[in-house]
Amino acid sequence: MAYEPRIIAYLCTWCSYTGADTAGIARLKSPANIRDIRVPCSGRVSPELVMRTFDQGADGVLILGCHVGECHYETGNHRAAKRLPILRALMSYAGLEPERLRLDWVSASEGERFSRIANEFVDTVRALGPVKWRVPSEEIPAMTRQFAAICGDVPLGEYDCAAKTDAIRAKAKELLTSGAVGYVVGYEVGPRGRTRPSFANTPEEADKLVWNPDCTYNLTTYLGKKRRPAIKGIEQPKPVAVVVKPCDSRAINVLLTENQFPREQVYLIGVTCEGTRHDHGALQVRCQTCNDRVPVVYDTLIGEPPAPVPEYPTPVALKIAGLEKETPAERMEFWLSQFDRCIRCYACRQACPMCNCPVCLYERDDSLWIGMGVNMNEKRAFHLGRAYHLAGRCVGCNECERACPMNIPISLLNMKMAQEIEAAFGHRAGMEPVPSPIVTVLSGEYKEG
Amino acid sequence: MNLITQAQLAEWLDGLARQRTLIAPHEVAGILLYRPVESSQEIAWGFGRTVMSVKEAFFPPTERLLTIQKSDGGIELIENLPEGEQVIFGVRPCDARGVKILDALFLNKEPVDPYYARRRANTTLVGLACKEMGPTCFCTSVGGAPDEASDMDVMLYEVEGGYAFEAVTDKGKALVSNLQFTSDDRDRPAPIINPQSATCGERSRTIPNPQSISWPAHFTSEYWPRMSERCLSCRACTYVCPTCRCFIIRDEVLPYTPGEPAAGAFERIRCWDSCEGENYRRIAGGHRQRAEKSERLRNRFFCKFYYYPEQYGLGTASACTGCGRCVDVCPVGVDITEMLMEVGR
Amino acid sequence: MTDTIYHNPMKPYLGKLVAVKDLATEIKLFRVELMNGGNEAFSAYQPGQFAFVSAFGFGEAPFGIANTPQRGPCVDFAVNRLGSVTTGLHELGEGDIVGVRGPLGNCFPMDQFKGKNLIVLGGGIGGAPLRPVIQTVLDHRADYGRLTILWAARLPSLLVFTDEYDEWRAAPDTDLHLTVDQADEKWDHNVGLITQLLEKVAPSPENAVTITCGPPIMIYYVTRMLAQMGFALKDTYVTLEARMHCGLGKCGRCNLGSKLVCVDGPVFNMAQVGELMETFL
Repeated sequence: MAYEPRIIAYLCTWCSYTGADTAGIARLKSPANIRDIRVPCSGRVSPELVMRTFDQGADGVLILGCHVGECHYETGNHRAAKRLPILRALMSYAGLEPERLRLDWVSASEGERFSRIANEFVDTVRALGPVKWRVPSEEIPAMTRQFAAICGDVPLGEYDCAAKTDAIRAKAKELLTSGAVGYVVGYEVGPRGRTRPSFANTPEEADKLVWNPDCTYNLTTYLGKKRRPAIKGIEQPKPVAVVVKPCDSRAINVLLTENQFPREQVYLIGVTCEGTRHDHGALQVRCQTCNDRVPVVYDTLIGEPPAPVPEYPTPVALKIAGLEKETPAERMEFWLSQFDRCIRCYACRQACPMCNCPVCLYERDDSLWIGMGVNMNEKRAFHLGRAYHLAGRCVGCNECERACPMNIPISLLNMKMAQEIEAAFGHRAGMEPVPSPIVTVLSGEYKEG
Repeated sequence: MNLITQAQLAEWLDGLARQRTLIAPHEVAGILLYRPVESSQEIAWGFGRTVMSVKEAFFPPTERLLTIQKSDGGIELIENLPEGEQVIFGVRPCDARGVKILDALFLNKEPVDPYYARRRANTTLVGLACKEMGPTCFCTSVGGAPDEASDMDVMLYEVEGGYAFEAVTDKGKALVSNLQFTSDDRDRPAPIINPQSATCGERSRTIPNPQSISWPAHFTSEYWPRMSERCLSCRACTYVCPTCRCFIIRDEVLPYTPGEPAAGAFERIRCWDSCEGENYRRIAGGHRQRAEKSERLRNRFFCKFYYYPEQYGLGTASACTGCGRCVDVCPVGVDITEMLMEVGR
Repeated sequence: MTDTIYHNPMKPYLGKLVAVKDLATEIKLFRVELMNGGNEAFSAYQPGQFAFVSAFGFGEAPFGIANTPQRGPCVDFAVNRLGSVTTGLHELGEGDIVGVRGPLGNCFPMDQFKGKNLIVLGGGIGGAPLRPVIQTVLDHRADYGRLTILWAARLPSLLVFTDEYDEWRAAPDTDLHLTVDQADEKWDHNVGLITQLLEKVAPSPENAVTITCGPPIMIYYVTRMLAQMGFALKDTYVTLEARMHCGLGKCGRCNLGSKLVCVDGPVFNMAQVGELMETFL
């Protein structure tokens, strides 16, 4: 029997579902391949739902909403219009043919339009053949495609750290002595000679704080709701001071827009940055072309703005461009090779300042979105889902990739999403305290806590 | 010593790979993992230490325990016991010690875990002594040694011209029975102890033996909240550890081929879990025990050095093998050896 | 290695639900008739022991066994619907199949309690593991002294085993005291926390042992009050919960210090709890 695609269509109650009814009443032929699921609004169709639909074996997903300007909930279809193309770009990048996901608009009276779109879509998906998205374990391709660690070999020039070290210590001492802050989060050198995050609670402890080319950690990860448990019955704890590099300061802006903490609770010791170093001694890839050398938000600024650096494509940008030129099947093979060694330790998520959900969607006790097994489909769903959730929010600090014990090139996902968001909306995460264009804010007023 | 050349070893391993699953250190995207290999050419010769331990070969990250078939006639449970013989080549003494420590839990304490037991019985460990200790290694502080052979079935030592080997157990003797070798009178060279090994950066002190520390006395110390401030609860340490073994069990639906009647089949799987996770001890009703990360990190260290040895009868040994993986993998520099130096001061 | 005939400890026995009863709001009683060898395994379980009950397709969760073999042959479990496994169980009805793994854990030392007065304090669903204690005393009435039952819940609709209260009250030398945090119009017993009820009833510590079961915070306050009232720590028993997953001492989750709740417990006396390095809270 010839292959017939299985299509899931999400139709909104007010327009497209009624449009489908209209098509039926007018006896217009609509293909039997489509299984309709009625939703209140196309904006309700979350990207996780679409991803799960493909994970469960759908050959194509069709989402039909009201025409722009006619949404029963005013802006629901705006949400769909913003989010779903970004999702499609991500899934295409991971190896799904983009033609398998279609978003369109059909009003209640447009039976003919519904029928035409339905038939077109089924024909398109049929021509693509059966979907190869859900991977049976016995078919995971041999992991022959390797990608060398993305460190590149641009050396980091020497720069003077002593002045900045002294300035950070002085500021920390001042804040701690005056009692303006409860503790200062900065960097120290551990007994093995490794620079690492440090917490100075007293003016004396401020002397262990340093600044050096290994200060690559994003200390803002210690500020989100996940880190500081709310203590009932105890008065508002004292503010915290944090040493922030330019990329870290962008994270602060994102966290502020998401109500992770009130601005007054954080004192920002901004430091200008000449770049930080990888374990192997070379310049971090994200620093190679960074011209955001001064923090975008700070309470005090240490250091002079360094000279601008020349722009050239980084290994990450080149790899993304290379992947975009490949076929979906080749991209699928690349990504499956990468996710194969993931152990779902969630170090990437824990290291990320933006990942603050009390219970991660992908770690629920009831396995609602993905199972808990360390299997290919689950691992891919987690990584793609997380990349999507970070679209427009990720500032590119690359702590996720650094924390990963398995060298998974997570930056290739996050940077791709950042490129898509910038191309579609002109938005760069954290440059201003405004939310990501695809994040929905439910109320116009930000509330405390 | 009994000697074989590199070529003889490679040929022997190729032969093993044809008969059963050969697992050996293999490079994947720049990192070293124990993986099944088809031939000795896929082995990452000259490797130091892999990122993950051999624990995966006995206690995999995800394991199906049962298949649950629901039908009108009722429920059928089908055990999913593992089959297939495997040989692991290139096991370091710290990894083999880790397997012994897991044996104390899965095999030596009732009830025996049949899944682990099957894999253990079907696996032969071919060890490779370390020529030198790495900077984060501290096996000597926990009663091990870079050339410790007692936990292996066969042990190999790199020497000039090839490898010296000895068969340690009967299983090992059976495995090497077809190995061609020569003999000579030389002594085995001793492993090089790197000046940074077992010191955590301090030249004047070595990392103390954890069993010399009176752990209960340190339980309420102020040290734990301070040393855990930088912890991200990222769990990488527990996953790379050769002896961490916490797991979770759940039923999940088995994917079925579209078009077939919904088979109603589920699998009961167990997966690795980690005591460092924030919701690890969330009990019904929502109350979370060990809500603070200092409590979780303290629990991990106490489990390694005090609880596990007591619960599973390790005697004077700790459940830590001194491999140093957790030190290398921690993204923020939480260091078990630093902790031992402090607490053991 | 030869595979001796054994029962895989991770594989549950199958059991048929012969009765599913509403006990309280979102709390049901499941009466399980064990099959395929399970009835042998469950021929001699003791009060305080627990078992893992599987809702196939969801998973399994530990529940205190809520009756005695003498009141068998079926095994009773009281299940509060709180998460995915308990929801899966609540969707089942008479005739459906569940899985049971056990009996696991240690038990109340009922033999040591003979000749003593027993004070039993149950909070909410915590009453379930105490029911076999009550049943044992009632079925061997002459072996035990005075039985005082303090039974509490947040609301009257959350009290469990209400249809057995008459049987308990009717037994010789047995008192039943009820309390709820918040009453309704029909309620004509005590209102207040179980600690307040305990203060009012004021049982004598003379020749007495207490058994408390309920949420961790209730155990904390009740045992504190019992100590203040003069009950010896070694005669104050509790059952603890620490999210068990295997029940066999393998998965490592349920430790309180170096003790595992699934094999060293779930029954502890407060002297033992005092020696635990970690708090059960």
